[in-house]
Amino acid sequence: MAGITTHVLDVRTGRPIGGMQVELFDLATTPPTRLHATRTNPDGRTDVPMLAAQAARTGRFELRFHVNAHFKAPDALAEEVPVQFGVFDAAQHYHIPLLCSPWFFSTYRGS
Amino acid sequence: MKAALHQPARRRFALSGLALGATVLAARGAQAADAPAAPARASGPIVLHGVSPRLTVHALDTFHGAPATGLRIDFSAFDGEDYALLRSFTVNANGRSDEPLLIGDSYRPGRYQLLLHVDEYFAARKAVLPTPAFLTRLPVRFQVVNAGERIHLPIQFGPWAYTYSRGS
Repeated sequence: MAGITTHVLDVRTGRPIGGMQVELFDLATTPPTRLHATRTNPDGRTDVPMLAAQAARTGRFELRFHVNAHFKAPDALAEEVPVQFGVFDAAQHYHIPLLCSPWFFSTYRGS
Repeated sequence: MKAALHQPARRRFALSGLALGATVLAARGAQAADAPAAPARASGPIVLHGVSPRLTVHALDTFHGAPATGLRIDFSAFDGEDYALLRSFTVNANGRSDEPLLIGDSYRPGRYQLLLHVDEYFAARKAVLPTPAFLTRLPVRFQVVNAGERIHLPIQFGPWAYTYSRGS
């Protein structure tokens, strides 16, 4: 399966984060073009892929996670986490999870 | 006092022993053993580990297991509309900037960004990566809420993953 998917997990509780706002931008344009905006479901995933397989293409994209709108920590290290990444092969699946707390953010190319 | 109120939550997080495998947390746990058991109650700036409030950064390359010496970073502040460049610097042999990024009067609450040029960094090390690479220019956005508390920002990155967190 091609396209872009994500998964948001809370490292403090070891559980998925539901209801976090996530956006996908295409970085080829100035300013970036927003392709999709949604909230994570109770499983920490999105009901539909952030970018569908049919729409997959090479280029640079940004997944923007609105972390502190969820955590609401007054001393959070960040309000939002932009993950900017390149897709070099549109036939491949890009799964990009975010493991987080209000003071810790980790992402990687998953599967 | 804002700082004192927020300290317990951070302390609990630090001591919760989550198996994150991050050296950052291991280091923090080790330091916590030497720290007073009660949250700090100082009315002035909180001096942690003998240094005044400041912003410092530490960049580690997890691909080579080494400090990210030579990595170029653009340091910007959010001006309400965009991130405006404050200065660019190159990570030193220790994986740090030679001077604190902000200290004294320059250390103010606000939103900031470090843009790591990981594409040119790995290219200089002859790493074989696709084009475009997964990570090229890596933005690390963060905020200073309380200029009375120092922020140390460790960043670990490889070609396919990165982590940043509040250190100490």
